[in-house]
Amino acid sequence: MTSTWFSAPAPVARRVRAYFAPVNRAAQSPVLFDPSQQAGFNLGAPPAPWISLGWIQDFVRNPASKSAPLMTGIPAAPLEQVRETLAAQVKLQFLSWTKLTMALAAGSQHMNVLSPASGASAAADGAQAAPAVTPQSGSTSTTILLAAADAAKFSPGSMVAVDVDYTGQIGYVGSPVSGAYVRQALSDIDYVRRVTFNVALVLQVNSTGLTLAEPLPGGVPATGAKAQVVTAFVDREGGSFYQEWSALFVMEGSQGERIFFHYPRLQTTSGAEEAVIPLNAKNQNGQSRVLLKGQFLALPVTDPLDGERIVCYRSFLPAANALV
Amino acid sequence: MQNAKDSFYMALRTRLTTINPERTILLRGAVRPGILVEEAEAPFSQFPSDVFVLRWLALGVDMDLPLTMAAAQCEVIYQSCGTQSFGGLDRGRALSEMDEELMALLQPFFTPKLNYTATPPAALLTNVFWDEPSFAPIAVQRDQLSRTASVVVYSYQEQGE
Repeated sequence: MTSTWFSAPAPVARRVRAYFAPVNRAAQSPVLFDPSQQAGFNLGAPPAPWISLGWIQDFVRNPASKSAPLMTGIPAAPLEQVRETLAAQVKLQFLSWTKLTMALAAGSQHMNVLSPASGASAAADGAQAAPAVTPQSGSTSTTILLAAADAAKFSPGSMVAVDVDYTGQIGYVGSPVSGAYVRQALSDIDYVRRVTFNVALVLQVNSTGLTLAEPLPGGVPATGAKAQVVTAFVDREGGSFYQEWSALFVMEGSQGERIFFHYPRLQTTSGAEEAVIPLNAKNQNGQSRVLLKGQFLALPVTDPLDGERIVCYRSFLPAANALV
Repeated sequence: MQNAKDSFYMALRTRLTTINPERTILLRGAVRPGILVEEAEAPFSQFPSDVFVLRWLALGVDMDLPLTMAAAQCEVIYQSCGTQSFGGLDRGRALSEMDEELMALLQPFFTPKLNYTATPPAALLTNVFWDEPSFAPIAVQRDQLSRTASVVVYSYQEQGE
């Protein structure tokens, strides 16, 4: 006789997938994952504004909240418990090096190394940059229209950063992600493009502009935005800025069940660090994979449902026909 | 366990028709996708070339779960002598092509479990799932290259199976 339900054993999952979305630092509003509407999303195409960072490994959740008993009586015995501290930590290793994974694994600003101006003096963050060019109207998230002379400054396979000039802004800068917090006015007109996350790979160049291999995270270039060639990335040990992101980690079980760990606010807690893992365990001195290590502290949000302060939501989508 | 073995085979066979519809075998008068189960065919004196042959080996069970879990080891054996048009000099390429095909056949790493003794096959409640394959070194026998890949196929024993 065929049954219509089953008692599901503990989930069996191969790996963990990571998705991140930028916290609006100015408004202090994280991105929320809604399990009632989004639990069935295509893991390869997460709902906006979540960005897939692919598989991760060595994912460790460490609930660091502490409770303490309220003692009463003689001899003293616990009457109730109170939560003394609220905290959680997350550790993981990214399996790829990208602008975003580097930034997440770095402790502070993550910067684009801009193509240098001719004869510029050496600088650890990259020399004074060659002048930016202005996208023309009609540009999209994947096509940047430029004057022919401006387009000639790019080449297929190069990277481009698109954002506004720095003109003395104080506070969070960078769009669509706050890439840095400026405490006092700076002199570098390209500073916003140095810290912006609005970067992409150039696929093709012709006399009318650039075709990008991936959409700009910020979408259509904003009014006043300019474009510059990016040659590399750089981050620093030190500094006062903390990256802050909303994070979603997903384990998909063998029976289609899903476990979600949603951290509305994660801040990096350590400086840039790498894990070096030999490709062949029998040859420790041979070729090794270099993985970015991420360590994060979960910060609290207030759940509007009941006013409770929390740092993480764990959701479970059971397998079809599994008893609950 | 038989439903899991059947489902695994049928999943790979269906995927093969998409990944490489030209890989076929003439067997018992019928042209079929180029993948077969050794124990479900007449004994072979020599395995056919350019075809995937599934051989079921070890079996383990975990009975301490709400549903008993079975882990069945499946060897996938394949071999090639290359093509006549290249005088067999492409046998390495042919085997590499089969390596890549097998990796593609195994993804995604699960398939719904069906009961193929029913007509049409009846869907059961759970999935059959497996891990990445482990590939053995190539074996050379005169002009023939062969390889064995091992996959552990997991399934849950449902009520009534």
